[in-house]
Amino acid sequence: MADGMIEFREVTKRYGGLVANDRLSLSIRRGELMTLLGPSGCGKTTALRCLTGYIRPDAGRILIDGKDVTDLPTHQRELGMVFQNFALFPHMSVWDNVAFPLMIRSAPKAERAEQVGEALRLVRLEGYRGHYPRQLSGGQQQRVGLARALVYRPKVLLLDEPLSNLDAKLREEMRFEIKEVVTRLGITAMYVTHDQAEALALSDRVAIMNRGRLEQVGTPEEIYEKPGSRFVAEFIGLSNFLEGSVQTVDGAEMVVQAQHLRVLTAALPGAGPGQKVVLFVRPNEIEIRPRPEPGVVNLFEARVEKATYLGDTMDYRLTLGPGLELRVQTDARNRHDQGAAVWLQLPRVRSWIAEG
Amino acid sequence: MRTILRAYLRGLWEGKLVLGYTLLLSFSLLIIAPFLMILLRSVGKGWFGRLWFPPQLTLDWYRWAVEVGNIPDVMKNTLIIGVIAVAVSTVIGIFAGWAFGRRQIPGKEILMAIVLLPRMIPPITYALGVAKIFYTLDLVNTYLGVALAHVSVCAPYAILVLATTFEGLDERVLEAAGVCGANTLKRFFYVVLPLIMPGILASMIFSFTHSYNEFTLTLLTYGPHTVTLPVRTYLAVGDGYWEITSAMAVIMVLPSLLILAMIQRRAKPERLVGGFKGV
Repeated sequence: MADGMIEFREVTKRYGGLVANDRLSLSIRRGELMTLLGPSGCGKTTALRCLTGYIRPDAGRILIDGKDVTDLPTHQRELGMVFQNFALFPHMSVWDNVAFPLMIRSAPKAERAEQVGEALRLVRLEGYRGHYPRQLSGGQQQRVGLARALVYRPKVLLLDEPLSNLDAKLREEMRFEIKEVVTRLGITAMYVTHDQAEALALSDRVAIMNRGRLEQVGTPEEIYEKPGSRFVAEFIGLSNFLEGSVQTVDGAEMVVQAQHLRVLTAALPGAGPGQKVVLFVRPNEIEIRPRPEPGVVNLFEARVEKATYLGDTMDYRLTLGPGLELRVQTDARNRHDQGAAVWLQLPRVRSWIAEG
Repeated sequence: MRTILRAYLRGLWEGKLVLGYTLLLSFSLLIIAPFLMILLRSVGKGWFGRLWFPPQLTLDWYRWAVEVGNIPDVMKNTLIIGVIAVAVSTVIGIFAGWAFGRRQIPGKEILMAIVLLPRMIPPITYALGVAKIFYTLDLVNTYLGVALAHVSVCAPYAILVLATTFEGLDERVLEAAGVCGANTLKRFFYVVLPLIMPGILASMIFSFTHSYNEFTLTLLTYGPHTVTLPVRTYLAVGDGYWEITSAMAVIMVLPSLLILAMIQRRAKPERLVGGFKGV
C-alpha cells in the first residue's frame, strides 16, 4: 500500500439516490498501468473525475504520490490526461496544444521547445507542428492529446476511453502505441474503458467495477483465468454458466448436480452438501470427442445444435438435455457436423456460491 | 373543366421560377425604391413635379448638411455613444451569457424574458420611463446617459448571442485546460476568450448597429450636446429642407454599409445570426 502512486480511500460519491462510487478503495502502484473497466454507469468515470478534481467526492480521500489532493483544484494536481473526444484546443496549432501545459507553467522558451519537440517525436508527429486539430485525422488528434498529456512529465497519466472515438483497426494500433509510450516513460497510468479487449491488452492490472464498487482487481491473466464473480466472468470473455447444488464434498473436490449432469470440481470453501452454486467454464476449455473414453471425468453426451465456421476457430452450440446448452469453441480443424452426437469433456470447471 | 384547371395550376407550378423571380424583383424594388428616392433627392436640383429624374445633379446639399447641420459633430456623438454602448453591452453580455449558456439557473426562461422585455414593450413606453429616471439622475444630455439608454436595447442581443456562444463551448476542452494546469483566470484568457471571439465580434456588431440606429430612446434622452444622426435627420425634416435631410440620411447609411461590407468579407452574416435562439 505504501508505494501506491494513486490511492482512493473509501471514496463515495452520490447523485441523489444513486451511489456512483460506494466506498471505493483502490491503490495504483508507481509505474503501473491500471485499467478501470466496467459497463457504462458502473462509476468508473465518476472515479476518474474525482481524481481529476472535476467533481468532489462526498466522502473519502484521494492521494497522489502520498499527497492528499482531495481538496486541491484540478490545476494543482499535476496530471496529464487524454480525453475520449480528444479535447484539443481548436484555436491552437499542434505545437501550441502540446506546449500549453509548459506555457501555463511559464517554462523557459528553450526548454519548452526541446520538450515539445521530444513529445511530438514520441508520438511521431514532428511533421505536423503547424497543423490545426481540424486538419488531423482522429488517430493523429489523439496522439496530439497524448503528447500534450505527457509533455511536462506529470506524475500521473489519465486516459478516459481514449480509443473509443477511433475506428476498429486504428484502435488496435493505438492500443500498442499507448502501451509502448507509457512503458517507455515508466509513468503511472490510469486507463478508463468499457472495452474488455483493450483492458486485457494494455494493463498491468485491471480493476473491474460494477454498480459503484470494485468487483475484482488483478492482472489480466488473473481476471480472465480466475474471475472472482459471475459478473466478472460474464464481462471478460465468453462463458458458460450452469446452476446446480453440491452433492458431496470430498477433501479438495466436490460433486455438483446440475440438472442431470454430475460435475466434479474443486471444493468451494464454505460450501457443504445442498449449497446452491454456479458452475463456470470457458467455451475454449471444453473438448469435443467423437466417442466416450473410459476413465475420463466430466464427460457428457451432447448433440451439435449449430456449428459456425469462424476462420481460425469453430463455434459450436451443443445441447446436453432440455434447456441445457453449452457454447464451445475449438480449433477449426476439429470439425463436427450439425446434428452429430458427440461427447464433451469439461476438464476445468470453476464455481461460486450462487447469489440470492 | 377540372382537367383544364389542373393543367392551369401545373402550368403555374412549373412556372414557379418565373413567378419567384418576379416576386423577388418586386420585393427588392420595394426595399430599394425608398432608398433610391432619397439618394436621388440628395443629389438632385430643381426636381419638382412629375419628372422621372432630377434635371440637374449637385453635391451642394451635402455641403449644406455638413456646414449647417453640423454633421461631423453629430457623427462624433453617435460614434462615442455607440462605443460606450457596445463596451457596456459586451461586458454585460459576457457575464450574463456565461450564466445563461453554461449554468443551470432556476427560472432561466423567466430571467431571459425579463432580459428581453425592453425589446418587447413599445419603445416609446419604455423610453418615457427611461427619460423620467434620467431627468431625476441628471443623465440626460450626457454621453453616458444616452449610451446607457441604448444598452437596454443592445444588451439583450449581446446576451443572446453570447449565451449561444457559451453553450457551444466544449466542456471537455475547458477541463483539459484545467488538467494541463491552467487556473480559472488562465483558462479564461487562453482558452475561453479565443474560442468565444467570433461570438463577441457578432455581439459587438449587433450592439453597435442597434445603438447607431436607435431613435426613440435617443429622442427622449438627448440634449444639445448629444444629438445623434437619426435624431439630427429627424429634426431636419421638421425644418422642411427635404434635400438636406436626404443628404443626411445618405451620410447616415454609409457606416452601416461599411460594417456590412466588413462582415461580408470576414464572415457570413447568416452564420452570425444563425446561432440565435428565441428571437
